[in-house]
Amino acid sequence: MSSNMIMLKSSDGASFEIEEAAARKSKIIANMIEVECVDEDKAIPLQNVTGNILALVIEYCNKHIVDDDDDVATEEASEEEEEAKKKKVDDWEAEFMNSMSLETMFELLLAANYLNIKSLIDLVCQTIANNIKDKTPEEVRKIFSIENDFTPEEEEEIRKENAWAFG
Amino acid sequence: MDFHRFSKPPTLITSLPDELIIDIIARVPISNYPTISLVSRRFRSTIASPELYRRRSLLQCTEHCLYALLYNSQTRDYRWYIRRRNGFVLIPSLPPMPAHGSFVSVGSKIYVLGGVYSSGVTSTVLTIDCTTHTMQHISNIPKLMGDTVAGIIDGKIYVIGLSELSKDKNSKGIMVFNTKTGIWEPEMIKLGFEIGRLWPGCVVMEGKIYMRDVENSFVYEPREDKWEREEMLNSKKWEYACVVDDILYYYDVFKKILRAYDIKHKCWREVEGVGRLLPEPSRALWSYTVSYGGKLAVFLPKEIHKKNTTEIWCAEIALERRQGGGILGNVEWGGVVIDGDFFYVRCLSVLV
Repeated sequence: MSSNMIMLKSSDGASFEIEEAAARKSKIIANMIEVECVDEDKAIPLQNVTGNILALVIEYCNKHIVDDDDDVATEEASEEEEEAKKKKVDDWEAEFMNSMSLETMFELLLAANYLNIKSLIDLVCQTIANNIKDKTPEEVRKIFSIENDFTPEEEEEIRKENAWAFG
Repeated sequence: MDFHRFSKPPTLITSLPDELIIDIIARVPISNYPTISLVSRRFRSTIASPELYRRRSLLQCTEHCLYALLYNSQTRDYRWYIRRRNGFVLIPSLPPMPAHGSFVSVGSKIYVLGGVYSSGVTSTVLTIDCTTHTMQHISNIPKLMGDTVAGIIDGKIYVIGLSELSKDKNSKGIMVFNTKTGIWEPEMIKLGFEIGRLWPGCVVMEGKIYMRDVENSFVYEPREDKWEREEMLNSKKWEYACVVDDILYYYDVFKKILRAYDIKHKCWREVEGVGRLLPEPSRALWSYTVSYGGKLAVFLPKEIHKKNTTEIWCAEIALERRQGGGILGNVEWGGVVIDGDFFYVRCLSVLV
């Protein structure tokens, strides 16, 4: 048996090989493995995830499986080492998120949600939240292509209602 | 151009289910919420949803917000204000509060217990939900009480004061309200000492309530229903104090010193490094401290030339415990938080 590799298949038919330990970052896949509905020769079909997004998910899982192993191996690591390692992961995550468009982020978030990968949901949500932080309503609408569905009267009403809260 | 290749609709933030929108908004600072509610109808209803505030708490994204009860001598009413970047801002949706009530914060709620309205003494217990800034009448103190102070231990609010509003000192006692069940304990707890007016307020440290009248400082431990006097604590006339990491802090306006009382070692210290907090001209007659997220906010009045006008001044202080027990304070911000004819009543830190 190979070192526990499993196959994942995207909605558009692309196949990916991934270490079982990395794939287990997804609670859904971990469950499938537990109940043994994973056939070694057969790829797990993931109907809601396209190939380009699945590639990102796998990149993320592969990166974080290494970190998890490190945690076990270096329980007695010094504080500085821990900090340095955390910074390395943070830097990697920042770059990973920086490399993608907002649209890709939303698709990645939907995939992470479907596959139930909590740390990836956290990462993407936080990145999107950072894009909202300290922006005007107009800026938020522009960044996220959101239509203003308030009537001018309603908008005025909310502004009045909230006037006190903008201090 | 191959039209079909581009026909897939783009995935927008609006394509996300509510649960993920909430997950995102929960991570944005709460001071941004008024702005976010102006983006679109969906964002507005997200900001109004109780689930958002549950999620903030679950994700440990809650923030400490300071709420102050101020008396406005012009309008002659007690109203709630929230601390924003530019200072205290009136919360218009909350009605005037009774005078001399007791106020306790629990999570994202403020409990208002008893007090006096112009119509007379009240025994009502109100809760203010600081996520929506709405108020609810949830209970009544089983006895009319006056001159009360209140502290919270393990979800139980201890209301200490005069019962039945008699002038007889012996009629003081403690009524206990369980915030989890919403039920009052039927019996009033008797005080272990004769205790005068508790106007300097009370604080809770290590499961004990510390209170002071004009003469003495008292400690009550509910677990064992035990009363004690604490002489060393009483050696300073502490008032409107607060607690950070089981150290009591108050600002001595006469000596202009930020003082700290260490209950473990039963000793007073001066917090170093804060210098003279008082703005000039320094004629403050009162000070008020409140702790929020491990920091300290000290409020002081600043008399200015126009008659009857008082600015309220605030210093935000980060604390650092040093080896050997010393405490270093770093004033991170100082400035005026409200200008006008106000008198300071209470300040609470609320988690939202």
